[in-house]
Amino acid sequence: MTALSRTLASWQQRITISPRLALAAGLVAVFVAVPLVYIFVRAAGADADDWARLLQERIWKLLGNTLLLVLAVTSGAALVGVSMAWLTERTDLPGRSIFRWMLALPLAIPAYIGGIVHLTLLRPRGGFIPQTLEAWFGQPIPTPSPLGFWGAAFILTLFTFPYVYLLSGAAFRLLHASLEEAARTFGRTPWQTLWQVTLPALRPGLAAGALLVALDILAEYGTVALLRYETFSSAIFVQLSGRYDRSAASVLSGVLVALAILILWAELRLQGGRRFTQMESNWRPAALLALGRWRFPAFLLVLGVAVASLWVPVTVLAVWSVRAFLDPEVLSSVLRTGSQGLGNFIWHSLWASGLAALIAVALSLPVALLSVRYPNRFSRFISRLCQVGYAIPGVVIALSLVLLVNRFLPFLYATPFVVVIAYVLRHMPQAVRASEAALGQLSPSIEEASRTLGRTSLQTLWQVTLPLITPGLLAGGALVFLTSLKELPATLLLRPAGFDTLAVRVWMWAEEGFYMQAAPAALMLVILSAIPLSFLLRREQIFR
Amino acid sequence: MKFHRFVLVFLMLALVISACAPSATPEAAPQATAPSITGALVIYSGRSEQLIQPVIDAFKSQYPDVEVLLKSGSNSQMANALIEEQANPQADLFITTELFTIQSLTAQGIIDSYQPAGANQIPAEFIGPDNQWVGLTLRARVILYNTNLVTPEEAPTTLNDLTDPRWRGKIAATGSTNGSMQAQIAAMRQLLGEDATQAWLQGLLDNNVTFFGGHTDVRKAVGAGEFAIGLVNHYYYHLQKAEGSPVAVVYPDQGEGQIGLLVNATSAAIIKGGSNAAAARAFIDFLISEEGQKLFAEGNYEYPVRVGVPLHPDVAPLENFRLADVDVAAAAKDFDATFDLIERIGLP
Amino acid sequence: MMALEARNLFKQFSGSSRPAVQDVSFGLRQGEILALVGPSGCGKTTTLRLIAGLERPDAGDVFIGGRQVAGGNFVPPEQRGVGMVFQDHALFPHLTVRENIAFGLRGKHRVEAQTTVQEMLELVGLAHLAERYPHALSGGERQRVALARALAPRPVLVLMDEPFSSLDADLRLEVREQVRAILKAMRATVVFVTHDQDEALFMGDRLAVFQNGRMEQMGTPEDIFHASATHFVAEFMGDSDFVPGQVTAQGIQTSIGLLPQHVSLPYGTPVEVAMRADDVDFAPDAKGNAVLVQRFFRGAFNLYRIRLDSGHVVHAFKPHTHLAQPGARLQACVSADHPLSVFHEGRAVFP
Repeated sequence: MTALSRTLASWQQRITISPRLALAAGLVAVFVAVPLVYIFVRAAGADADDWARLLQERIWKLLGNTLLLVLAVTSGAALVGVSMAWLTERTDLPGRSIFRWMLALPLAIPAYIGGIVHLTLLRPRGGFIPQTLEAWFGQPIPTPSPLGFWGAAFILTLFTFPYVYLLSGAAFRLLHASLEEAARTFGRTPWQTLWQVTLPALRPGLAAGALLVALDILAEYGTVALLRYETFSSAIFVQLSGRYDRSAASVLSGVLVALAILILWAELRLQGGRRFTQMESNWRPAALLALGRWRFPAFLLVLGVAVASLWVPVTVLAVWSVRAFLDPEVLSSVLRTGSQGLGNFIWHSLWASGLAALIAVALSLPVALLSVRYPNRFSRFISRLCQVGYAIPGVVIALSLVLLVNRFLPFLYATPFVVVIAYVLRHMPQAVRASEAALGQLSPSIEEASRTLGRTSLQTLWQVTLPLITPGLLAGGALVFLTSLKELPATLLLRPAGFDTLAVRVWMWAEEGFYMQAAPAALMLVILSAIPLSFLLRREQIFR
Repeated sequence: MKFHRFVLVFLMLALVISACAPSATPEAAPQATAPSITGALVIYSGRSEQLIQPVIDAFKSQYPDVEVLLKSGSNSQMANALIEEQANPQADLFITTELFTIQSLTAQGIIDSYQPAGANQIPAEFIGPDNQWVGLTLRARVILYNTNLVTPEEAPTTLNDLTDPRWRGKIAATGSTNGSMQAQIAAMRQLLGEDATQAWLQGLLDNNVTFFGGHTDVRKAVGAGEFAIGLVNHYYYHLQKAEGSPVAVVYPDQGEGQIGLLVNATSAAIIKGGSNAAAARAFIDFLISEEGQKLFAEGNYEYPVRVGVPLHPDVAPLENFRLADVDVAAAAKDFDATFDLIERIGLP
Repeated sequence: MMALEARNLFKQFSGSSRPAVQDVSFGLRQGEILALVGPSGCGKTTTLRLIAGLERPDAGDVFIGGRQVAGGNFVPPEQRGVGMVFQDHALFPHLTVRENIAFGLRGKHRVEAQTTVQEMLELVGLAHLAERYPHALSGGERQRVALARALAPRPVLVLMDEPFSSLDADLRLEVREQVRAILKAMRATVVFVTHDQDEALFMGDRLAVFQNGRMEQMGTPEDIFHASATHFVAEFMGDSDFVPGQVTAQGIQTSIGLLPQHVSLPYGTPVEVAMRADDVDFAPDAKGNAVLVQRFFRGAFNLYRIRLDSGHVVHAFKPHTHLAQPGARLQACVSADHPLSVFHEGRAVFP
């Protein structure tokens, strides 16, 4: 925050909250909070026997499994993300500008799709790679297995590191060259400067990014189920689809959400204390570090990451898709399943995610207006509450909505609208943050000027505020759209009959082992995700 | 179609909120004449989509005005949904891969009775006591093996052989969410008792059996030689064989004192309160008609329940085997204990 | 009738321990420019925002053109008919210069609005930049657009919140002359907020000096400068040094000498005497009462900082022809030919 925005912030403090706005934001917060509270109520209300049984047999093992995976993937993603960012932003790595895109684009590939591809390649004995090796050497060559803990950690790291990469890439770029130069004048080598000055300076932002990865892993269902590593999310899913018992699922969900809220709390604290390094007028890019004889190994390393996280999945999906289209039998099942075809899946995916994005952005507006224009304890609380969706995994939202909607709004039950509500609840935090960021950059005096020039507060919102923050809102919408498109567990559990999205369809086919049928839908999903993603990336400093 | 419904819901929502008046949605006018069956038929299916798809296609060619909406998942996932929706039924028809789930649902009053046309062609044991459900096909639990890795002499002959350390790391099976696997465990609990079943499951786990989500993965893995042995339903052997893989099959536990071949029936039932009972009935009628049964038998190598429908020539008739004697009704009552066991043992 | 009247304004923000504005009252005549001046956090901007309607007073009334707009019935900013110029100009970045200026003319006839915009553009000398967007303007140009936008609807009252603070020092002097000329040409009634004394003295027909949410003094620039009502005003507006003294029968006894001026206070009362650099003189004297601390070259004059033996510091101007070196012992005295301002407990005392 600059001195200017600090003064602005203190200035804003003085304004009296508009009751209309507070009411609107409060309603949004209630909407967001109800499913969360309901899960806790159900968990608390579960039989003591259930609690005892689960505590005895399940919770500790699940907790261990889940935390171990979260820890491994978060540190893996941080390591890969930061080192890729450093190599592409701070060194004379060949092909840096192309690598920037290649390292960010894996965000368009849902981790479970990446997992499917790597699984078929690496599966012990039966995978493409072990078989090729066996054909070459005439005997089985042991290869690492993508199954279980290490496999899940590997795959999830591969498809979540771009979060950290993007954050740290921007930070590396924007950091003042003078900071590092100062360290050099105090006798530090470039390497010491990196460890003693640069990374510590970037730490708050990076830690926030890493915690977002951690929340993502807590919520992950598809990949861990596919790679057969049991975490809370997959255990809840099995509870929901295994036995006729909602209370055990509620108990597990309660524990999971409590865990997630803990992480979210830490993340929000870091966010609050985060300082953006500003591009000021005297900013100039830091000198690139010459890699020298490390140039080629570094190039291979970055290329390896890009190949594993982007080119392998895309190529394999493309090859399978072509083969699927060449095989008439497969093609017919791709184009039509049940009474539905690929076109329907695309359409369902698009409009459900699009509507969710629209609603999430609309709902985020009063919350952001309140928290940015009237910062105080109450508005901060509302804003935090609206970000709690980060901490509610899709499977928990699904459970909560199934119970809530069927009991209180039965006419909504088994309509696509419930799926949309789940997307909105889950992905609202992204819209809230984008809207808050956009509003935060708009000086409140712009709005006040409009008021003194004869516009009411509502007219000001329409004629001045909204046109000016539209790019920020679009970015928030694109983010919600992108993540909704990839959403799997909530859609699986909530979809009405005949409402399959691309994500669901890919999963259903792949789970049964029909990878070729799954490929065109998966490729379609990746391409559709790449569109909003590239829009988002173009907004980032490092892609201009 | 669903989108229209969604718009309708939106309008209703607006109506309810704005008027706050109890709105009586008028009942759809009853069909004037029975023969033309129209509308959406919502099917919840625990069967693999690939296996039910040809039947749906054939049904649709007879009833082109019916839109079939399929929601697939595991048996218990669908059953859970049906229980959840009891007061607000969404589905018209339920298809499952075993008999336990459907009996539990019957006991909870979720199923409507219907005596299908052609019921007289079905052995009585495959029709629910009050016509609540009807069996469709039979499938046997068998041991699939890769002939490049296992000779017929070595191949296990009983389910218990699968716990032999000889096969450590070489067996693939389906996991706890698979209906056929659940049914197998329930049947074994009934035949062998809790302790023996638990010991057997523990033996599988100790033997590093790899558990997949579905049988297709299992059969392909065995076919590719990734695993030596797979525990599957019998038709997966035929499906894999048809792809030209070097696989063979064992119908296990045929010896004296052994439990006999485990056989389970797929079944279908009509959901009480479903909105398109006419279509649901027509669909069930079709499923047990000669044409429907032939599709199962020829397309998917299953044992049809209807008398007189020929088996696929490659399929070994059930009469050749000694079948396990399972009391389905009793096992269904105890189905919850099966889940407890699965959970206790930690079956993936 | 007053163009603007504020009565007993009081405002305290939640979470703040002291009022931002308390007991502020003043009136403003048509065509008059009032400068609110004081250090940051003194309440001047809050007062301005209370007048604009961007804040609601906790107590007190505001009348604009005789109409009550706060206290009792609250009139929102858009209905007050005030024009405001913001510290950061607050130009709408998505609108051109022309559209920015026309923003407040909604509801006017189209041709009339166009004419007004054109007039305003010419008035502020920006007709050639009418189709530009704000980001393509220089700081001074933005300033003038902001002014034109505020003036275009012919507001009954113009409010300006530190309008020159974002400009460079050179530009600021130039722009403030232009702006004052424009405001006077339009006979606008203006409330002008600044923390810069020079600017306040230059812009204001009258000044109101604020401290800690209170108005310390209001008056013409001359009044404020020469007859400061409080210690704070004298210090803030006049660059005064303060030397303590005691009331005696002969006058006021201080460490710089006896001032032969009489005040209506009992003998022995402690007071402070404010003196500016032009009030003080000195001569080298080995047995003097002060030491020269530092010399500042100011072109035609030298400014000397002198520490009295009592420890108090005063300043003195001398022509540049006169030179004295730091460390020299001096005899300092008051050379003013007028009575100096005397303060008792922070408030001015008069004879």
